[in-house]
Amino acid sequence: MNADETKILVIGYGNTLRRDDGVGVKIAEAVAAMDLPGVTVITRHQLAPELAVPISEADAVVFVDAEVKASEPIKLRMIKPAETVGRILAHAADPRSLLALAKEVFGRNPIAWTLGVPVEDFNFGDGFSSRAEKGFQDALKQIRGLIQNKFCETVANAG
Amino acid sequence: MIMSKRILIDPVTRIEGHAKISIFLDDEGNVSDAEFHVVEFRGFEKFCEGRPLGEMPGITPRICGICPVSHLLASAKAGDAILAVAVPPAADKLRRLMNLGQIVQSHALSFFHLSAPDFFLGWDTPVEKRNVFGIIGTNPEIARAGIRLRQFGQEVIEVLGGKKIHPAWAVPGGVRSALTKEGREKILAWLPEAFATTKVALDLFKKTLKGHERETQIFGNFPSLFMSLVADDGSWEHHGGKLRFVDSDGNVIADQIDPQNYAEFIGESVQKNSYLKSPYYKPFGVPDGMYRVGPLARLNVCERMGVPQADAELKHFKSFGHGAVTSSFLYHYARLIEILASIEFIERYMKDDELLSGHLRADAGINNLRGVGASEAPRGTLFHDYTVDPNGILKKVNLIIATGQNNLAMNRTVAQIAKHYVHGNEIPEPMLNRIEHGIRCYDPCLSCSTHAIGQMPLHIQLVAANGKIVNEKIRQ
Repeated sequence: MNADETKILVIGYGNTLRRDDGVGVKIAEAVAAMDLPGVTVITRHQLAPELAVPISEADAVVFVDAEVKASEPIKLRMIKPAETVGRILAHAADPRSLLALAKEVFGRNPIAWTLGVPVEDFNFGDGFSSRAEKGFQDALKQIRGLIQNKFCETVANAG
Repeated sequence: MIMSKRILIDPVTRIEGHAKISIFLDDEGNVSDAEFHVVEFRGFEKFCEGRPLGEMPGITPRICGICPVSHLLASAKAGDAILAVAVPPAADKLRRLMNLGQIVQSHALSFFHLSAPDFFLGWDTPVEKRNVFGIIGTNPEIARAGIRLRQFGQEVIEVLGGKKIHPAWAVPGGVRSALTKEGREKILAWLPEAFATTKVALDLFKKTLKGHERETQIFGNFPSLFMSLVADDGSWEHHGGKLRFVDSDGNVIADQIDPQNYAEFIGESVQKNSYLKSPYYKPFGVPDGMYRVGPLARLNVCERMGVPQADAELKHFKSFGHGAVTSSFLYHYARLIEILASIEFIERYMKDDELLSGHLRADAGINNLRGVGASEAPRGTLFHDYTVDPNGILKKVNLIIATGQNNLAMNRTVAQIAKHYVHGNEIPEPMLNRIEHGIRCYDPCLSCSTHAIGQMPLHIQLVAANGKIVNEKIRQ
């Protein structure tokens, strides 16, 4: 696979009116503002089944979400499609189930990571806690690094 | 003294938000009652107080990740009422087009992903297989088509509102932008596939119905009132029109109620242990004023859909009732008919050049200090009731959501199903599957203000009247 042709999808999700819960969306919007070649960004309030379509069309996917129990410093975690789906796909799906859906329905299985951003405040409102603010900056560095450096090699090796 | 016990199902899977179900038994082991509790408080109404009116269409869609368009449109309509303006005809049509896209995408998710696994795969299929992946295994084309049908609905919304997560596209007085020719071509390209998928789903469901007479009989099959918006001529409405109530015999008991006056006809009771308000038809009180909203209600209330293919289906649908169709299991059928009608109306709008018009917004100041916006969300009638000061700052907000209006009927549905399956202290697995589905018939959206992370287990408790847990199940 030619690295220049790699199609990268960044999905940021959460509720932007519940403070830290919206950090995944804001990170995705910041990635979109970088205008990186080959990178598509989708923002959602929550994950839903139709995302299986753009996921199946990508070579690599990064899911960015707020996570109370996220590790610090934050790091990208490679994920595989769910093998069993004990938690049934609801209105709100999860990344591994969406990967499985893309694989089973559309026959594509992109390489994928989740990036959990440490958060603590889900009250109504805009703006982030200091923990989420730090996570926001760290996450951007991680995603930029992934896309610009190692990521293409990883995809090439995988492909 | 009668010793009572309670079976608790907490939370219910495959519905929005977190909820639990209590089933009350008497000492004979027979079901006496049931309650569907909502335990997460949203608090949006208080949060909105002090905000400028113009911000509301930007704020309220963020209540919900599944039906943001419904809140957007109801909010804009409440703003119209406060400005005391008539929106330009093009803006009205464009709002309707977006709502039709919303109905398609929401109903597609409900039917293909949340409910179809139960009746296509079998009620007693293990829960780890009774999901959309099970559908993929048995009928991959349907699974794929369902995803794409929902994608079509989303596409209609995005063509109008852009790719922003919650577009504040509708505003008091109109909308911000028209349909473009490019957007029209995109939508047109989807239509043949959308029609084909809906027809396949309708045929499949009607065949399935023949093997589900029992479910049709006991999944929320009882007399009640039904309410929705309806057009002046009795046609199906989803955005304009006035309110109509019909009873289970199909009699119109109140008609052409201006939504501004909803409070004269709708009361709100509060259920113990739940944040969900339970509206009722005020003249009849509780429990006789229990009414249902949503697809089943809209099709019971209207006399025709107003488009040919859906009208043919409506005729068949009405044959399931003597007056009104009273089984909540037929919400699924009603949903498919509304998808079909929505696609037909979308097709009609694609031929209407007025949607490309630049006259999209009526401007005015604050002319009324109170305004109500009513719109048909996929799950039922949604009311936004705003009171403002002379500067347009929100002083009071009351939101009446569809799921709340169905709350009393959901309780009744759970009790009806449980009566057929619960005898004694056992918590039979088949009963749980069916009760969950009984709730899903209404496609409730409880509180998706913070999306769920992690597991969503099914927690069932059998609790005696003294509070002691006598039986418990946790299903991951």
